Amino acid sequence: MKSSPRFGLYFLVLLTVVISFFPIIWLILTSFKNTAGIYAWPIQYWPDPFTFENYISIFNNSPELLRYILNSFIVGVGCTAITLMCGGIAAYALSRLRLRFAGVLMVGILAVSMFPPVSLLPSLFQNFLNFGLLNTYTGLILAHAGLFLPFSVWMLASYFATLPVEIEEAAKMDGMGFVRIFLTIILPLSWPGFVATGLIVFIFSWNEFPLALVLMTQNAMRTAPVGISLYPGEYAFPWETISTATVLAIIPVLIITAIFQKQIVGGLTAGAGK
Amino acid sequence: MTQILTLEKRTALTGIGFVTPTVLIIALILIYPIIQSIVLSFGQSSIDGFEPYRFVGLDHYSKLMGDSRFWNALGVTFTFTALSIPLELMFGIGLALLMNETFKFKGWARLAVLFPWALPTALNTLIWRWMYNSDYGLFNAVALQSGLVERPINFLGDDVLAMVAMVVVAVWKTSSFMALIILAGLQSIPRDLFEAGRIDGMNRWTEFTQITLPLLKGPILVALIIRSMDALRTFELPFNLTDGGPAAATESLSLYAYKVIFDFLDFNFGAAIVVVQFLVIFTMSLVYVFALRNKD
Repeated sequence: MKSSPRFGLYFLVLLTVVISFFPIIWLILTSFKNTAGIYAWPIQYWPDPFTFENYISIFNNSPELLRYILNSFIVGVGCTAITLMCGGIAAYALSRLRLRFAGVLMVGILAVSMFPPVSLLPSLFQNFLNFGLLNTYTGLILAHAGLFLPFSVWMLASYFATLPVEIEEAAKMDGMGFVRIFLTIILPLSWPGFVATGLIVFIFSWNEFPLALVLMTQNAMRTAPVGISLYPGEYAFPWETISTATVLAIIPVLIITAIFQKQIVGGLTAGAGK
Repeated sequence: MTQILTLEKRTALTGIGFVTPTVLIIALILIYPIIQSIVLSFGQSSIDGFEPYRFVGLDHYSKLMGDSRFWNALGVTFTFTALSIPLELMFGIGLALLMNETFKFKGWARLAVLFPWALPTALNTLIWRWMYNSDYGLFNAVALQSGLVERPINFLGDDVLAMVAMVVVAVWKTSSFMALIILAGLQSIPRDLFEAGRIDGMNRWTEFTQITLPLLKGPILVALIIRSMDALRTFELPFNLTDGGPAAATESLSLYAYKVIFDFLDFNFGAAIVVVQFLVIFTMSLVYVFALRNKD
């Protein structure tokens, strides 16, 4: 009974890990091959020679690829900050203040979060053009904040709902204002919820494609997924550069996911369970 | 008495103040653009405002009804959704059951499963496109060297294979998301239910179909609906894998709308396409909200 099911279990786990991971391994291996190695026949499973020249060449010859990553960072951080601030107070009001319109608003926010991003494009492009928001960080940060605020409100609200009511009752009796209650009592108690929400929103923003594609039309303003996808131009596809840039662009997400695995999984399942 | 009243009033005012920024941003970025798209779809105008808006009624919609490329895109979108969702669900349940067992290195295994979901779809797709490559791709190299095939397979150059290739990438990327939601449901099932089942002499399969699956109905429904809506609006996957090709065999509705708007610069006709897509997805989201209401 003991040994054979265990063996089967480990075999399945190994299979799952290999299937999940091999494209990423293959990407990393490709980034360490030289051009001849990438187009070699028979195929090189292990880079020969194993070279860092693609990485060096990106720093020297294609600094725009690094610029894309920087842009993604700026947009991701900005969007996360706005969604946490606005979403935090909104979620607090909707989950703890017993407002009459809270239920309707929560359902409304959930419903609008399902809008397909492409259906926003004709109008957003036109308005951003008219207001000079195309190709600005402010513009894309605002757009991403709009996309991901519903998620952050729902997730933070479900987090606040787990805190006991008594903690703020006492403060209210003492005549504390709501802003102070939020800042001095709620915030310190719920930072794990904020961390999880913030990480997921950052990943969402880092990965978002259609709005980033349309609202950043200048090469220097593109985010990493868009810039790398459009990098090759029309026909040629320089895989050595593409794969190296892709490795650089996914490293931040890999690190965040690895370190905060528990928070992200917990946040996602709580958010979806609502 | 007055004290309580003012507190109530103050609460309401604070509440309104606290939700205002969020409501404002959502109205600006999500609600107003949808309304404007609807308005655009009933008229003729130019992007720069040079040509003033002229109401044309249902012209764009009647053109849409006769547009074979639109029907093709709708068909591609539904096919893609119908193929990928059941597979994702199957693998998602399997993965969730696996991750519910206790074994060594479980944290690492869960992390490996999480990675495909966490990475940008656009870049994931580029990795797969490189592996699918007919001349230098990994899959063809393995297939040729092992003698499975004589000539390289042109995965992305064939109507059917290109669709299969797209489904594979989607399933690879999102099964883990399904698994996470289902796993959370699994972990909330009380242990003694299974023990009761054991005492009644259930084997693993009947235990799964009689106890586990019925209790997972809620999480499975949620996962299914979230993923279906994602699949119905899929954009960067065909954009980066095939650009909708060969011909338009993998051109999703989102991708076609994007091309009409930004390649053909026909904002009004494009708006009609996105409004139809919006209606399809909105109907689904109503089902979602309705299903969730019933759950509680």
